[in-house]
Amino acid sequence: MIELKNVTKQYPGQPHPAVDSLTLTVPEGEICVLVGPSGCGKSTTLRMINRMIEPSAGSITINGQSVMNNDPDHLRMGIGYVIQQIGLLPHRTIAENIAIVPRLYKWPKEKIVRRVDELLVMMGLDPEKTRSKYPSQLSGGQMQRVGVARAMAVDPPIMLMDEPFGAVDPIARTHLQDEFLRLQKEIRKTIVFVTHDINEAIKMGDKIAIFGEGKLVQFGTPEEVLTNPANEFVENFIGYDRIVKKLFLYQVQEAYRPAVCRLRPEEIGNALSKMLAEKAEVAFVLNEADKPCGYLTREELEQEETARDADGLQKLAARRSKAFVQTTTPLPDALSVMLEYDAEYVGVLKNGLLEGVMSFKDIRRHVYRREGE
Amino acid sequence: MKMSWERFQIALFEKAPEAVLTHLLIVVITVALAILISVPLGVLLTRPRYRKFGVVALNILNILNAIPGMAVIALALPILGLGIKPAVVALLFQSLLPIVRNTIAGLLEVSADVKEAAAGMGMNQRQILLEVEMPLAMPIILSGIRTSTVYVVSVGTLAALIGAGGLGNMIIGGLALFMPEYLIVGAGLGAIMSIFFDRALSYLEYKITPPGVRAN
Repeated sequence: MIELKNVTKQYPGQPHPAVDSLTLTVPEGEICVLVGPSGCGKSTTLRMINRMIEPSAGSITINGQSVMNNDPDHLRMGIGYVIQQIGLLPHRTIAENIAIVPRLYKWPKEKIVRRVDELLVMMGLDPEKTRSKYPSQLSGGQMQRVGVARAMAVDPPIMLMDEPFGAVDPIARTHLQDEFLRLQKEIRKTIVFVTHDINEAIKMGDKIAIFGEGKLVQFGTPEEVLTNPANEFVENFIGYDRIVKKLFLYQVQEAYRPAVCRLRPEEIGNALSKMLAEKAEVAFVLNEADKPCGYLTREELEQEETARDADGLQKLAARRSKAFVQTTTPLPDALSVMLEYDAEYVGVLKNGLLEGVMSFKDIRRHVYRREGE
Repeated sequence: MKMSWERFQIALFEKAPEAVLTHLLIVVITVALAILISVPLGVLLTRPRYRKFGVVALNILNILNAIPGMAVIALALPILGLGIKPAVVALLFQSLLPIVRNTIAGLLEVSADVKEAAAGMGMNQRQILLEVEMPLAMPIILSGIRTSTVYVVSVGTLAALIGAGGLGNMIIGGLALFMPEYLIVGAGLGAIMSIFFDRALSYLEYKITPPGVRAN
């Protein structure tokens, strides 16, 4: 747990403090994202935790121990540190770069070699191919991975990450974020993460701390911040698409309905009567192996007079053969599928089998319900 | 003026070996001392506490470097007397600047991000200097050493004027006695020595440049 109490950083000759009497607690095992426009003091705050910058006033404690009690070099050896520019040593191989902190701890050689390979694998890099390369031989995304691997080398309980995925293209960034979140589920580090990108903050943060002009403006879970922005500054920072951003917090499994009308291959001819009997608006067509291969809506069956024969219905259903999402799909992706197939519904799959259905109305209702809380 | 093959042979095989050895001795001692003084000075002048003296120090060295080599050697005579010692001192004055300047330039060129990352991982100032800054600055520092060495080899010929010996002896002797054979051997060997040091240090520079940094 990291606790900041009334931390202030005043640079001489500056009219306003860079960080102004900041109080913030980062709970064990969570990612706390510091987010705000540039010059808001978020990076300064991060760098005061490992004493790259010394605070002017206030106290910072890690698990109850004041950081000021520790020698700065020793303190930093125990805290993972990732910066946007990565800062790999260009004259050292990837393996040597990752081994820096283990070497400072004087680990035995074999242990270091083992750990380096383990970290490369963990970060999705091939040890055989990567180990003895130099940083200049890697792509931006690979360098970022090495930067993260290097910070985790001695398995520090705390990591400080300053725009760690800022220097790569958006596709690689999304990929790195997803992988890191997956990894974090296992490693459960206490992480302070700095970004200027509210979307990244919403995605990565268990908690978000919104900074403005050296002050903490709002602190809470992404949902709390998106539901009740503390003031106009936060509202503006989040943007007009507040609710759309909120969609990113939810997955299909929170909004779908498990009750669903299923049509076996032989039942397709009397689809409408089965739907009427089950009071269903939509019916999913299954194949011989019970895998869903499309759906029909009651609306179109009641209108469409021509395509009543089984073959025509089969074809109609097959047009939505890809209008399916997983229970773990984020809601915006599900919405995207709906828009792509010009459909009101998507089928929800779990382990390849039909699990339920979700309509546009379900999404709307879910978001509305979460707004009210 | 008639050249004789016999005198040429005497110059090359009897006089030259000693002159070359003396010249090498002057060069090696001067450059070694210059490195010992300049590199730590350059390092010091890039540390935050002493950075403010950097401009002053470089200006002083620039002035020293602007004095013609001949004048320095001549000035050394009344103060330090005759022999190798005053020659080395005189040459030293002018060999410092390129190394100090390049040490400073090399260290300043090390990316701030790399230093920030190194410090952020808990490397102390000494470790950052020795394991990060120096290796990365080394090619530039070596190039300063190379400039200095080539300079000392050539201006070192003037050291003969204050009785230090070396290849200058053969050149000056040859001129004074109208013996072009001595002149040619002395000047030629001086040129070869310059080229040798230049090439050898260039190779070392290449070898010492970390593969990850080499621009290819």
